[in-house]
Amino acid sequence: MLSELKKSLQKLLKIFNRKKQIQLGFYGPVNAGKTTLANRISLDWLGKEVGTVSEVPHETRHVQKIENIVVTTNNGELKMNIVDMPGIATQVDYKSFKAFGMSEEDAKARAREATKGVIEAIKWLDNVDAVLVVLDSTQDPYTQVNVTIIGNLEARGIPMIIVANKIDLPEANPDSIASAFPQHVVVPISAATGENIEKLYEAIQEHLT
Amino acid sequence: MEIQLDFVSAETLARKGSAEKISFILDKIKRNIIVVLEEALEPQEEAELIEATMREIDAEEFHGIEFYRIDSRAKGLREKIAEYIAGRRHGITIVGPTRLIEAIKREPDYISMLAKVDIPQEEKKKKGGE
Ligand SMILES: Nc1nc2c(ncn2[C@@H]2O[C@H](COP(=O)(O)OP(=O)(O)OP(=O)(O)O)[C@@H](O)[C@H]2O)c(=O)[nH]1
Ligand SMILES: [Mg+2]
Repeated sequence: MLSELKKSLQKLLKIFNRKKQIQLGFYGPVNAGKTTLANRISLDWLGKEVGTVSEVPHETRHVQKIENIVVTTNNGELKMNIVDMPGIATQVDYKSFKAFGMSEEDAKARAREATKGVIEAIKWLDNVDAVLVVLDSTQDPYTQVNVTIIGNLEARGIPMIIVANKIDLPEANPDSIASAFPQHVVVPISAATGENIEKLYEAIQEHLT
Repeated sequence: MEIQLDFVSAETLARKGSAEKISFILDKIKRNIIVVLEEALEPQEEAELIEATMREIDAEEFHGIEFYRIDSRAKGLREKIAEYIAGRRHGITIVGPTRLIEAIKREPDYISMLAKVDIPQEEKKKKGGE
């Protein structure tokens, strides 16, 4: 009797929870492809792109929200808000921007914004329900920035999927990401070409809701 | 040029709260000292360290940090409780200014730190003039 009641209560709760939009944060080091992925998802389900993508690091310097995305997979509907974060870094040197042809002044302004962006992204850890950790599969996964991001999510109990991005590139090695973080679900994709993106939607449905 | 490394014992660190610990580390880093801590920082402390670093970065003098945590966390429940009571995580954390540390990289059997030994000409001049 009591267990019956508990069951139906849980069912109700589940429906209630499903109605709620999840705040899905995109975290990762700079240039991993967070905004490219956010754009792809937005294009797939809302028909428009939202953020600017660039080979220059710290392109995203403010948290950008894409609201009311409804994703449908074989397992049903999934409502979410995407929060595309500035990339996390432990250093910002304005001179590195000058290599991309920026003026001294623009480079300094970008560096200042970039440092604020990193702080903003860290503050947002308290406001996300679930996270995609976007990593570049062509890079060494065992960096302190990656370890710190994942450690913070673990410590806060925020569910996550690790996205091994850029698998379209010949030097991509998504397996090294999987072996660096064996305790987590890793989904290899290419945000640029859309390869395997369906798998990612299914994984979000399965692990983050 | 000289490179200074400061080693900080777990006991010293245990006496400091997180905020105090982070300003203690950053203060050294900003004086171009590489710091080796006899403990593994907590992930939250690392996030605070990054935040504090971002606040301190300026175009001329300080461009940020490199750091690496080596965990040798307690496995059993007993050790975990002991660790909790002692208020620290076993391991080592290396933190240094990017102007001195080129990279800290994980190799299969060890952690490797690459330091820069020559300061750019202009900085040398400035130092000499001080
Ligand atoms: N080949 C390839 N390139 C990609 C892929 N995803 C992103 N890129 C490229 O990687 C660079 C960085 O992409 P962004 O989406 O701006 O990366 P980000 O993580 O948002 O970077 P920040 O906002 O600076 O932190 C750009 O040049 C993209 O075109 C991918 O799947 N494959
Ligand atoms: Mg971006």
